[in-house]
Amino acid sequence: MIRLTDISKRFGNYQALKGIDLDIPSGELVALLGPSGSGKTSLLRIIAGLEGADEGSIRFDADEGNELEKNVGFVFQHYALFKHMTVFENVAYGLKVKKRKDRLPKKVIREKVLELLKLVRLEGFADRYPSQLSGGQRQRVALARTLAVEPKILLLDEPFGALDAKVRKELRRWLRRLHDEVAVTTIFVTHDQEEALDVADRIVILNDGKIIQEGSPDEVYHHPNSPFVYNFLGDVNLFKGRLEKGKLHQGVCEWEINGDIVSQSETAVGFVRPHDISISRDHALKDSVPAWITYIQAFGKSVRIELKRQDSEEYLEAELSREQFTELRLQIKELVFVKPNQLHVFTPDDYVI
Amino acid sequence: MTLAKPARPSRSLPGFGLTLGFSLFYLSLLVLLPLSMVFLKTAGLSWEEFLGVVTDKRVVASYKLSFGTAFLAAVINLVFGILIAWVFTRYRFPFRRLLDGLIDLPFALPTAVAGIALTTLYAEQGWIGQWIPFKIVYTPIGITMALVFVGLPFVVRMVQPILQGLERELEEASYMMGATRLQTFQHIIFPEIVPAALTGFALTFARALGEYGSVVFIAGNMPMKTEITPLIIMTKLEQYDYAGATAIAVVMLVISFILLLCINGLQWWASRKTEEN
Repeated sequence: MIRLTDISKRFGNYQALKGIDLDIPSGELVALLGPSGSGKTSLLRIIAGLEGADEGSIRFDADEGNELEKNVGFVFQHYALFKHMTVFENVAYGLKVKKRKDRLPKKVIREKVLELLKLVRLEGFADRYPSQLSGGQRQRVALARTLAVEPKILLLDEPFGALDAKVRKELRRWLRRLHDEVAVTTIFVTHDQEEALDVADRIVILNDGKIIQEGSPDEVYHHPNSPFVYNFLGDVNLFKGRLEKGKLHQGVCEWEINGDIVSQSETAVGFVRPHDISISRDHALKDSVPAWITYIQAFGKSVRIELKRQDSEEYLEAELSREQFTELRLQIKELVFVKPNQLHVFTPDDYVI
Repeated sequence: MTLAKPARPSRSLPGFGLTLGFSLFYLSLLVLLPLSMVFLKTAGLSWEEFLGVVTDKRVVASYKLSFGTAFLAAVINLVFGILIAWVFTRYRFPFRRLLDGLIDLPFALPTAVAGIALTTLYAEQGWIGQWIPFKIVYTPIGITMALVFVGLPFVVRMVQPILQGLERELEEASYMMGATRLQTFQHIIFPEIVPAALTGFALTFARALGEYGSVVFIAGNMPMKTEITPLIIMTKLEQYDYAGATAIAVVMLVISFILLLCINGLQWWASRKTEEN
C-alpha cells in the first residue's frame, strides 16, 4: 500500500500540488485523471522518486505492515528508449546494471528477456533498434524493459497519449490484462476520461493541484461530487433554475431531483448527460421544454442531436439510440419537446470545491 | 506511337547536380589544387634526394615531436573538453554565459600572442613558472600546452549540442531501472557523445599538427629536441629550399591523411548504431 500524506509541490511561483492525501492499496489499477496542469504528472513523478515533495510524506508499506523495499518501475510518455541499444539490450538493461552479487547469470538474463518480449508480443524483434519500431511497439518495449526489474509498483505517465486511437484502445485493454496477470500496483496518468473509465479499478480526479474526487469508475461517473467532475467525465447540458420543495424550477417547468440536496440555496444548476435527455413531439406541460433541432449527427450506434431552446436560445445536446431515432423520424428545424430524465443538481456552494 | 519517357526519380529537394558541381569546384580550388602543388614541387627531387631530405635525423625527430605532442594535446582536450561541455550544459552558475563565450577565444586570438603569453607565464621566472619544480617552457610539455590552448574549442563545441539535446527522460529511465550515476553515464550518455567527441578529437589533432605561430615561441626550437616539423619546413623555405620544404610537407600530409582517415573510420563505427535510426 502506498500512503501519501499532505503532499505539496511548488515549481517557482507555481503551486503544482496542494496537500494531497491518498492511499493506494496493493494490486490496484489506479488512474490519475485530470486536465493538463492539474498536477497529475507531478504527483506520479513524486511517487516515483524522480521529484521530491516540498511537504508531506510517502510511505510504501507491505501488506504485513513493514516497510516495502522501494521497487518502482516507470514508463515514460515518450518511451525514453535507449536508441543505440537493440530491443533486447533495452529490456536487459535493468538486469545488467545490477550489483555483481545480485546480478543474474547471462543465460538467465537472456531467457528472462526473451520471455518478457513474448509477454509483450515482440518475440521476433529482439535485434531491432527502437527506430525500426512503430509507436505501439516502442511503448511495449518500454513496458517490457520496466517489468524486467520486477517492480512492485508500476507507474505510467500518459502511456498511450502519443498513439493513434485504435492502437491506444488495444494497448489499454492489454495493460488491463497484464495488470491482472502480473501482480503489481499500477498507477497511470491520463487526461482521457474514457481511458480511465475503461481500465481503472479506481479513478483519482485532480484539478488545480488538488484531489477533487476518488472512487470506482461507476462511482465517479454516476455520483460526481462536483460540477467539475461532472463536466470532465463527459458532455453535459445545463438547466439553471431555483430549488423549491425538492424540485428544480425553471419558468413553468419543474423537475424531480436526483439525490438529496442539503443546501439551502435557492439557485441551482441541473446537469444532464446527453443520453439522459428524451425527445418527443407531444407537449407535456410541466417537465419539457420546446426546442428546435439544429443538427443531426447520424453515424455510429447512437445519434447525436443538437437543439436550440425556443425560450432561452440555449443549446442542448441529446443522444438517442438508433431505434429511438428511426421511430421518431426527426428532421432538422423541427420543433420538439425535450425532457431531462436524470437531473443532477449542484448549488453555488458546490462550485467552491 | 511513342512511349512516355519514364519519369526521372524525383528528389525531395532539387538542385543536386548544381550543388554537387559547385562543391567539387570549390573544394578543388581551395584544397586540392594547392595540395597538388605541394606534390608537384616535390616531384622536382629525385627519389634518393627525397628520401635523404625526409629521413634526415633532425626531420625524423621533428615528426616524432609534432605527432606526439599533437596527439597528446588532442587526448587532453578530449577529456577536458567533454568535462567542460558537461559543466556548461548541466549546471547553472554565475557568469556561465560569459565563460561559455571565452571558450572560443583561442580561435580569435592571434596564435603568436597566445605563444608569447604562455611563454611569459610559464618561463622559469614567470608568474606561474617559478612555482613549478620542472621546466615547461622550451620542452615538449610547453609545446603540448600551447597546442591544448589553440585546440580547446573543438571538442567542447562538438559535444555541447549533443549533451543539450539529450532527453532528460533517458537518464531518468536508467535511474528508475536501478542504474547508478556512473552506469548511466557509461551506458547511456557516453555512447551518445562518442561520435561528436571523436570528431572534436580529429579536429584538435589536425589543428595541432599544423600549428606554428603559438608553438615557436614556447618551444625554443632546439634541433632534435623541441623543433616541430612546421618549423623545419619554414626554415627550409627561408633558405629557398622549396623542394625540400614541400618534400617534408608531403610526408606530413600523407601521415595526417592516414591518421584522420583512421579516426573517421572509428567515428563511423561508433556512430553506426545511432545512424541506423
